Amino acid sequence: MSTVAIEEASVPGTRRSTIWVLPLVVLVLLGGVWAYVSSLTLDSIETRTLAPEVVLTALWQHVQLVITSTLLTIAIGVPLGVLLTRPGTRRAGAIVLAAANASQAVPSIGVLVVLAMVFGVGFWMAVVALVLYALLPVLRNTMVGIRQVDPALIDAGRGMGLSPREVLYTVELPLAVPVMLAGIRVALILNVGVATLAAFTNAGGLGSVISSGISLNRMPVLIVGSALTIALALTVDWLAGLAERVLHPRGI
Amino acid sequence: MSERPTPSPDAMIFLDGVSKRYPGQEKAAVSELSMEIKRGEFVVLVGPSGCGKTTTLRMINRLVEPTQGRIFIDGKDVTHADVDRLRRGIGYVIQQIGLLPHLTIADNIALVPKMLGVKKSERRQRAEELLEMVGLDPATYAGRYPRQLSGGQQQRVGVARALAADPPVMLMDEPFGAVDPIARKKLQMEFLRLQGRIHKTIVMVTHDIDEALRLGDRIAIFDPGSRLAQFDTPLAILSNPADDFVRDFVGSGAPVRRLSLLKVSDVIASSASDAPGTLNAIPVDAGETVHRALELVLTARAEGIEVCVPGGGSRYLDLQALLTAAAQPTKVLS
Repeated sequence: MSTVAIEEASVPGTRRSTIWVLPLVVLVLLGGVWAYVSSLTLDSIETRTLAPEVVLTALWQHVQLVITSTLLTIAIGVPLGVLLTRPGTRRAGAIVLAAANASQAVPSIGVLVVLAMVFGVGFWMAVVALVLYALLPVLRNTMVGIRQVDPALIDAGRGMGLSPREVLYTVELPLAVPVMLAGIRVALILNVGVATLAAFTNAGGLGSVISSGISLNRMPVLIVGSALTIALALTVDWLAGLAERVLHPRGI
Repeated sequence: MSERPTPSPDAMIFLDGVSKRYPGQEKAAVSELSMEIKRGEFVVLVGPSGCGKTTTLRMINRLVEPTQGRIFIDGKDVTHADVDRLRRGIGYVIQQIGLLPHLTIADNIALVPKMLGVKKSERRQRAEELLEMVGLDPATYAGRYPRQLSGGQQQRVGVARALAADPPVMLMDEPFGAVDPIARKKLQMEFLRLQGRIHKTIVMVTHDIDEALRLGDRIAIFDPGSRLAQFDTPLAILSNPADDFVRDFVGSGAPVRRLSLLKVSDVIASSASDAPGTLNAIPVDAGETVHRALELVLTARAEGIEVCVPGGGSRYLDLQALLTAAAQPTKVLS
């Protein structure tokens, strides 16, 4: 087994030679912002809003929002996607996919505000909005990933005496993994961006740093909030790329 | 009302009035088909596309559920048996091969044993045995992935996989169809040799009459109307085609093709002489095909053959007598 070289799957941006580029960019970005902020004499408002515990709390809230909502998105999107590729759910599949498409088309701030108006504000409300928004790529990629499996493989599996469930677990899902992972990666990145809007529904996150930068008219605060969001998005994307590479089935 | 037919004791597969009608289609894909396939027999289903040969094959392991009729395997009525268990006892080889690309060759072969709960070490050993059997070196290939193998190699693995649980019956749907012509002939011959050792009951679908004649113990020819036009040995089909369709389907080369199916022993009874005369004859074994005998005669520029007969002594046939005998179907077969 070990004597056979398998070409590494080339997930964009995670080739061996380029794998350290993204973290480097993130470090340069953070270093630059640090240097910029250090060079300024901060007034009392800036000192208060840029205090490490304030910023780190916001960052941690943001990470929690992203992780919770992405996990929930996967927990809903993957089983739903699998269900909608089973025989006899063709029409339901079309309807659900249309609904997911529509929810993606609605501006995320609108979804957040409407949900906040109906259900109130807070962390979980923001999570619900994020899940609704990020569901589409996970759901669609799960369905596409399973549907693109060569029918001959399913025929071979059924012909050998694998039950439909065994075909799902030994044939369809493993072969759909690359496409599903790509969808999950998109959902993660979307969530990092959209979670900044959670500040408007009192769920905290880096959005609160950005919005206080705007409302207090303090450029350094705004820049720190934005730069951290960008750095977080890039880091999450990088980690997702690594995960894709590790989880990509060998042999395909 | 007469009693429903039951399979004879030596029948491995028995189809009793099996039909398949797809919803929304006026004509049945297969209608009222009855066939008996004996233990250890290699039967080839052949016919033009749309004649129902693949549907027939897929009804045996019930990938296609018959709308009517009964299916017996090894004397048991499996028309309503548990499909997954039924299929685990039937090897299945398809044209697209269908190896799982994310599993190693060994894991692909061991898939059904794994489902049957065979221990890992035994599965591995079985996979290696089977690789050996289909002519692939286990040390080289067991750990590879399917896409690292050529089409011919992949289909060998496909055959090995079908044999993994040692099923008595194998179904093959154009197994050599996707392999290039040179590798195909080699695979066919190797497969025949393999079958000589393992004696499975095999049903194979092909649209290639040459392949059917080369491989089958018996051939079932379906006509475009999904009717079983003839079900007989290759020699009988070439000698006595049941109707114009079969004659057409077999093609114009039938008399020449028969030569490689006829044995010297088949023709010797009809027209051999005891006297050597002035014949320049070369010795030929009675078990050789007439085709081979002719080849030997022509290569040696001889005038005839000399065949040792079991009772002692030799019998002689000149070239003319050999050809005449080979061209007389009814006499030979009677």
